[in-house]
This record gives sequence, C-alpha cells and structure tokens, in this order.
Amino acid sequence: MTLPDYFAGIDIGSTMTKAVILDKGVIASIIGPTGPEQRRLANRVMEEALKQAALSIQEINFIVATGYGRINVPFADKQFTEITCHGRGIVQLFPEARTIIDIGGQDVKGIKIDASGKIVDFVMNDKCAAGSGRFIEVIADTLGVSLDTVGDLSLQSSHPATISNICTIYAQQEVAASLAEGVPLSDLLAGVHQSLADRICRMVNRLRVEDSVIVTGGGAKNRGLINALSEQLGHKVLVPEDPLLTGALGAALMGKEIIEKARKSNAPIETKERILEEVEIL
Amino acid sequence: MAEEQKEAKPKKRTTATKAAASIGPLVKEFITGTLQAKAEGKQKVAYTFIVCHHEEIFRALDVVPVWTENFAGICGAKRDAERFLQRAESLGLSRSLCTYALCGIGFDQWREELGQMPPDAPWGGQVRPDFMISSGQILCDPRSKWYQASQQFMPDVPIYNIDLPYPLYQVNRDHREVLGYYHQYIVKQLRGLVAFLEEQTKKKMDYDRLRELVGLSDRTWNLIEETYDLRKAVPCPMGTGDAMNTMVPINFMMATQKAYDFFVDLKKELEEKIARGEGEVENEKYRLMWGGGLPAWYALNDFNYFNSKGASFPAETTYRMVAPLHEMDLPETKDPIEHLAWRWLGYWTFWYDRARKRPGSEPDVERLINRIEEYKIDGVVMHEAFSCRTWHVGLIWQLHQLSKIYKPIPVYVIGKDGKKEKGYRELPSLVLESDIIDITSYSEVDTRNKIDAFVETLESIRTSRAA
Amino acid sequence: MGDKQSTISDIVKNYYNNYGLRAKELKGEGKQFIGYVCSLVPLEIITASGCIPFRVRGSVYEPITRGDTLLETIVCPYYRSVFDLSVKGKYDFLSGMVIPHGCDSMVRSFSAWSYGLPFSYFHFVNIPSVCDESSFEFFDSELGAFKKSLEKFTGKAITEEHLRQAIRVHNENRDKVRALYELRKTDPPLISGTELTMTLTAGSSLPIEESNDLFDQVLTGVKGRKNSLPQKGPRIFIDGACLDNIELIKLVEELGGNVVADTICNGARDHLPKTDVGGDSIEALSRRYLGKVNCPKTYRANKAGTFEGDIANRFGDIGTYAREFKADGAILYVYKYCDPFGFEVPARKAYYHSLNLPLLHLEDIYSAGTMGQLRTRVQAFLEMIG
Repeated sequence: MTLPDYFAGIDIGSTMTKAVILDKGVIASIIGPTGPEQRRLANRVMEEALKQAALSIQEINFIVATGYGRINVPFADKQFTEITCHGRGIVQLFPEARTIIDIGGQDVKGIKIDASGKIVDFVMNDKCAAGSGRFIEVIADTLGVSLDTVGDLSLQSSHPATISNICTIYAQQEVAASLAEGVPLSDLLAGVHQSLADRICRMVNRLRVEDSVIVTGGGAKNRGLINALSEQLGHKVLVPEDPLLTGALGAALMGKEIIEKARKSNAPIETKERILEEVEIL
Repeated sequence: MAEEQKEAKPKKRTTATKAAASIGPLVKEFITGTLQAKAEGKQKVAYTFIVCHHEEIFRALDVVPVWTENFAGICGAKRDAERFLQRAESLGLSRSLCTYALCGIGFDQWREELGQMPPDAPWGGQVRPDFMISSGQILCDPRSKWYQASQQFMPDVPIYNIDLPYPLYQVNRDHREVLGYYHQYIVKQLRGLVAFLEEQTKKKMDYDRLRELVGLSDRTWNLIEETYDLRKAVPCPMGTGDAMNTMVPINFMMATQKAYDFFVDLKKELEEKIARGEGEVENEKYRLMWGGGLPAWYALNDFNYFNSKGASFPAETTYRMVAPLHEMDLPETKDPIEHLAWRWLGYWTFWYDRARKRPGSEPDVERLINRIEEYKIDGVVMHEAFSCRTWHVGLIWQLHQLSKIYKPIPVYVIGKDGKKEKGYRELPSLVLESDIIDITSYSEVDTRNKIDAFVETLESIRTSRAA
Repeated sequence: MGDKQSTISDIVKNYYNNYGLRAKELKGEGKQFIGYVCSLVPLEIITASGCIPFRVRGSVYEPITRGDTLLETIVCPYYRSVFDLSVKGKYDFLSGMVIPHGCDSMVRSFSAWSYGLPFSYFHFVNIPSVCDESSFEFFDSELGAFKKSLEKFTGKAITEEHLRQAIRVHNENRDKVRALYELRKTDPPLISGTELTMTLTAGSSLPIEESNDLFDQVLTGVKGRKNSLPQKGPRIFIDGACLDNIELIKLVEELGGNVVADTICNGARDHLPKTDVGGDSIEALSRRYLGKVNCPKTYRANKAGTFEGDIANRFGDIGTYAREFKADGAILYVYKYCDPFGFEVPARKAYYHSLNLPLLHLEDIYSAGTMGQLRTRVQAFLEMIG
C-alpha cells in the first residue's frame, strides 16, 4: 500500500493569504487575515489549513507558493506566479474557460489560457490603485458605506453618475462633491463601478477576449462590478464559488503535476526542509 | 455605450468677436466637405498635418487636405475622444503618447474594422483618405509615426513623408552658415511631394497657379500680422480664447481667398471695436499672454473664467504660425517651391538674431520678451499637455530663463540698511496641467483654484508696483 | 571561472559601477571627453578630432530632483534621468556634449542642456527623419558642419586620414562586440546578458582603444571558461531603446531566462552595424548612422505596399537576430512617453506574431522601484514559454 499524496498551495496576495490542500480533491482551504502586517504571517494560514486537513507539514509531498509574497516563503518547494496558478486553478473548475480576469486588492490581471490551462497571453495593470479593488475601497470609505454592500447598492441605481476622473484621489474628491450636491448614493456607486469596469475592460481588451470569461479575486465577490464588467465587455462573466481560492488551488495543482511528472521520468524531486517560519516580504 | 461615455457638455463658450464665433460652422463645413469630396471622387483626399508650408502645393493640384490633428481636436472639444483613445490603447498603444494620434489611430482602426464610420462619429467622421502626407520635420515625432501606425489598418493607402528640418538654435553658431544645405534639402523634399501628388492625381503641376497661391498666402501672412497687431490696443479687443478659433484659417485654410477674406473682416471688426473702446473684457485689469502649450480643447471655457476675473489675453505664441515676411530678408526667387523653402526657414529662425543680441536669451524666450513688451503683458500662462512633447517640453525652462534675464516690474524692496529701495522683479507665471484632448487628466476645480491664486498674485503685484 | 576571469569582471564592474572613472583620470592627463546620448551621434568624428566620445548614462537608482525644476516630467524617463544627473554635476568632467535629433525630448530640451551645463562645447546634430537620397546628401552636409564645429573647438583640422583611422578603430570595436555576441549562441550561453551589457556599457565610457583592449580581455576570459553558464533556460531577446542599467536583464536571468540577443541602443543598435570603408569617410558615416542604425525615429518608406512586407522590412533585423541566436521569446521594453517606440508597439507585436515568437510587452519608467512589479510579469512570461 502506498501512502496518499498531499499537495499544498499558498497564495500570498497583497491583502489576503490563501491556502489550499489537496489529495484527490480539496481537503482544506483557508482564507487568512488581511492587512500588510499579517502578510508576513502566512505560516499561520498554512498551519490552520494543516489543522483543518489533520495533517502535519511533513506529510505534504509538495508545496507551491504564489502571489505577490511568493518569493521568500521558507517552507515552499517552488514558486509560480499567480498568473500561471490562476490559469491552472480555473481550468480545473471551468474546463471551457479561455479568459480570466483576476481583480485583486492592488492590481488587476487579464489572462488568456488554452484548453489545458496553459497561459497564452496576459496583461497586468501598473501599480496604480485606480485600476484595482482598492479604488472601490477608497470610494466606499469616502461615502461611509461598508465594502460588502457597495456592489448591491450600486445595482439599485437607474441613473449611474458619470465619474470623469480615473485617478483615485481625484475621483474621491469628485464623489464627495457629487454627494454634497445630492446625487443619490446608489447612482454614485453605480458610476464608480462602471468607471472601474471601464478601466479593467480597457486593459483586458488588449487580449482578444474569448468565452468563457471567468472573474476571480476579491473583486469577483462584488455583484455590481461583475454586472458592469459583463455589460462593458459584451461577454457573459462566470464567477467561481470561492473566487479567492483559485490561485492557491492552481498552486497546489502545479505541485501535483510536478510530482507526477517527476515520478513518470524517475527524476529526483527536490523539496525544501519543512519549516513553518514567517515570510520575508520584499 | 458610446453615448454614455460622452462627457457632459460644458457651458457654451462666449467669444469676443463675431469672426471667432463664425469658426465653428466653418470647421464643420470642411469636415463635411471632405466627406463630400470623397463621395464624389473628383478630387483626391489626403490626410495631412498643419504647419508644413505645403498647402499651396495641395491646393494647386486640387488635393483636399484632411487635417487629422483638427479632427482629433474636434473629438476633444466635443468631449468625445475617450472611446477612440481607448480603442488605441486596446491595440497596445500607451496613453502617454500624443493623444491626437491615439484618437486618430483609434478612429481609423474602428472605421476600417467596420467598413464604415464608427457610430455617432463626430460631425460625420474622418474620411478614409486616398493617401497620407506626413512630415517628420524636427518638430514632432508622432507625425512620422502616426500614419505609419494607421497604415496597419489600411495598408492600401500610401504614405509620403516629407522631411522639413530647420537648424536648431545654437548660441555660438550663425545659422546662416548652414541655411544653404537646409534649403536645398527642403526644396528637394517639396519637389518630391509635387511628384508624388502628380502621380496620385494624374495631374501636372501648374506652376503659375502655384505662384499665385504662394503670393496669396504671403499676403495673408502679412494681413494676419497686421490684424493681430491690433490686439496691442488697451483694452484688448480680442483674446487668446478667440485666437483658438481664428487659428483655423491660419492653419487649415492657408492659400485660400476665404482665409484672406476672413482676416479682412476680422481686421475691420477689431478696428471698429478699438474705435468704440470695447475690450475682450469689460474692465480690463490684467493683460496676460498664453506663452506656450496647446490648449485643452474641452476646457476652452477656462478663458472665459480668466475673463470673468478681469484678465484679457492680448497675445499668445501658440498657433500664431506666421511671422512678418518683410522682416525676414528672404532671398528673391521666381520659383515658388524655392520660396516656400525659404519662408519655412525664415519662420523658424525668425527670432535667432534677436536672441543672439540679448545675453542669456534664446529664440523662444526672446519671443516671449518681445510680446510682453509689445502687448504690455502682466503675466504669462502656459499649459503643459502631458501627451505632447513637441510643444510642451522646454516650457518651464523658458520661464526659468525668462525670470533670470528679464525683470520688468519695478518694486520696492527692503535693502541691507533696512531702507526701502527700488528693485525689479520677474513677471508672474502660471503653468496649467492637463492634456489636449484626454479629459481624464483635467480637473476643473484644480485648474480654477490655480487661476484664482494666480489672479491674486497679479492683483498684489499691481498694488505693490513701485512708481 | 579562473582567477583571470574574476579580475576581468572586476574591471568591468568597476567601470560600470563607477561610471566615468577612467575619464576623470584621463582628464587629469589633459584628455578631452565629449559626452553624447543616443545611437545617432557619429562617434568616429569625435574620435577623429582627438577628443574621446563618452556615452552619458542615467541611473535607475537616483531619484530625479534638480532635473525636474528645469525639464517637464513628460519627457522620456530615461532622458530625464540623464539630464538630472548632468545638471547635478555628475558629468562635469566632460568638455562638451553632443545631442542628436533622436526624438522630441532631445530636440525640445536642447536649450535646457546647453544653457544649464558648464561645458565649453555643445553641438546639435540634425538627423533626417526620412531616408531618401536627398536625406543622405543633407546628412553629409550636417556631418560636415559637425566636423567643422569640432575643428573650431579643438583648433585642429580633421583630415580624411584622421577619419579613416577613426572608422577603422571603431569598426574593430564592433568586430569585438560581434565576437562577444557569438559567445551567446551556445545553450546555455557562455556569457550572460548581464555580463555582456555591463561590458558594453563599461566600454562606452572608455577611449575606443581601451574599450578594444577591455573587450579582448573579456573575450579571452570567457572563452577560457571551463563551464558555460549554470542554467539552461528560455532564450530571451530584448527589444527596446536604451537599457544602460542592467536591472531588467538581470531580473530575466535571475528568474531563469538567458538573454541572448537584443536591439537595444547600448547593445546591437549602437554596436553591430559597421561603417563601410574605402570611399569618402563622411559619406560612409552618413550611410551608417542614417541608413544602418535601425531606430524607429527614422521613417522608412513602405516599399512593399503591404503591411506584412512593410514590417518585414522595418523589423527584419529582429527576425535575423532571433533566428541566429535561437530566441524562444522576446521582451519589448518601452519607456512611457517614448513616441518613436510607443507608436510601433502594435506593428512590432504583429511582427513577433509573424515570427511565431512569444512576446512580453512592458511599459516602464526607468526606475529600479518598478522591478518588483516587473518580476511577476517576467516570471509569468518565462513560465508561459518554458
């Protein structure tokens, strides 16, 4: 009898850390705390995932780190970018997927994949908050609305306001001024979502968008944004059940493939010592 | 979607002169004129750029120019450039590049993809050209790249690119040393253009007609100078806001009788206004110069805002693309092509000798000083459009150098011994920041705050001015 | 690597890190260095005058400060950095400066340079925008004027013999660069992209004869290596303007790629085209700098009449290099605000597509601070093609 195989993926994003453990299917998944100071503590998220799976770290055959904080994860055997991992994770969930839009806290990525989940092309926005989830966060804060509700509130609008500034700071001023002029909250929020969707579309349109289009990342949980995106892209947009986890899932799957490939060719498998230490952030 | 993306229309701008007010319909007329010419097919239609001194050649061969910078400007002024800019971006073009070109390429790509005009194209849209005439010059990189980029989407439309360099000002060199070979080159380039147009139109150049047209534009140049000189009057009868309209006949209609007649009318109108003591603003308090930069076409209203503070703009450097011919000392020639080449060089080197005479001066700085004195200017306003290096790099250096070598305002300062002494200070200046047509770079609140603060500075200088 | 190799790379590193070191030494001996930017300045004429051409560099690590008080932030970020370092006095050891009509940023800032810097010699070389026969005639005259200005500056005539001699030694330098490039043809290459760019950059701060000696030493050292580079990896072609800081190339190589060829200004564009010998020297230089240096700033007419034919003509050197050096992928690295390159991005993309060569297009601002965000893109690209 051979021992079962376990694979872990850890996705250290700019605002959240996610971990997934697989054997034949997902046996644990954890979404860790947000905030820059916690990012370092990705090891705790891993610990929790291990606890959920009732495994020790020594029992994991291969660990892949991905995401913004992937570079110095002491317990990971290999690093892949979140672009590759999202592709792999998404194709597992949606075999027909060809275009992925990942809306993270600090950046947005557009990814084209083939039927095997391999990356064909990708685009990324520059590090400017205006094109990312942070844009909505700042505006929600200005308007005094909780981030969880902005998307639904925006769907109540029948006359979306025009937000002419794309710079987050300018848009913040503009929104504050419009609110003072009595523009309804839902219209402002609808305008803000359209403006962000517009920025995202502009970038993603540089790839030839093909069906099916899948949106992942924190932004995928915002229904207002998904609606605006779908409308502006002119494509139906699908959202995974747990859009935050696709990167970590893909990372775990990448690990699984590496092991399988190595076994097939009888190549040695290089793994690191399993030490659950804090992560160094660049 | 297209409709939604159009920005809210700004308040209609008011002009000081009837002539300026007549420009809008005129521009619309030549946009429809190009569409009509293409539909009729009797005349060839060509994309091209302003300030190439080639209008006479175009008109002598009955080629209809499509001024692509003008069309992009119209999209901007109508606040409907964004969708074309986005299209260009989706092709991989950076938003930091010349937005005129981005708008034009985005439009062309869309029109070619559809096989017809994009939906709700401004004023009927930009016509598919028979050929494109670009010019790299020494002035503008995007000019030789724009049509090349557009050609990807209409590979059957040929390009002819003419080089029109001029010698850059170098302090220790008399530019006359090199004018000869510059002239020879420009002549050859223009003759190349004639040959290309002859081939395209299947017509022979009628050099008598060309000579007449060159004569007509020379007369128009002089008439423009005389007309604009009238703005030296106090109060000033016409400001830069209007001049951003009257630039149309200067830049898009040269070598036509209509352009000449336009300035006959404008001159008459200004003379009448001066006789009545009527200014651009009712109580002229400050006289400003638009000292550099293309305007934000979607925000020309800002000129009205200046006006509302008692500020008039008797002078500008932008789009006054003529200079007094009689002061240029151009070599005599019977050959109109040779004359065009001399006039080109004469225009670009116009301020060189004067600059050389004033220590620390430079042609663009010299031109500022000259206008400040002739038009009794109290302050300089410039606009930095992020997407255009051609007209917007060097502006802050010019202001820096101007303030270093030119301090015309008498003020009292407290000297070393604590006594009031008479001193001189530089002219105040304001640099506005946005873009020619990318409205997302513009903030009205910010701009007007800056204008308010500038007007306060002007007022404080006015009151503290030494006798 | 043997001991000899490490000393050579120390020399290269030293010249690279202390850029201008040798020029400062030689200035003490009475030598005159003339700074230049861009691939379009005919260096042979400077060498023929008895002065030493010195490629002025920017720094991705130095925040731009004084430069921004005199020059708009909308100019090319590379050029902005070069200007900033210059007005801060980093290149005060130079005796003069030559700026060509390379782009609008250069043309429009010429006064800011020439009035703001303490050099006794300043010259602007006007490069035609088109490539007709009459353009070459004009350029001959313009180079004649350039020559004359240097004669006035040094007080010595530049003879045809001086020019021939200068062409010879600059061509020698190009032969050596070509030989260095040949070392990249193995897989993995014998010399890394980082080493090569450092070597060429160091060379452009030295008198041409010393640059030749340095390249010879590097060639001998690298050929004597027991092993090639440790890692096989995707072979990457870099396409773009001036990358006179190694950060991007280093990043690619840290992430497992090998940079094997390029079109960059301080790489193939500056160094590979040779000047013809035998005829009139000025005419030969005019042919080289206008005809052979392939910069998007020069408009080359579409003679094919088709888009595919046009891009094959305009970017043919890319295809040739890519085949010769067996590139697996290309990175098109373009600076923000760069009109000449920026407007070619769609056509270049189409060209790479026609070569079937995967392409990563990056827009950047010439700052080490952006390397973090470039890392993910470059790594994803290597994963994609690997």
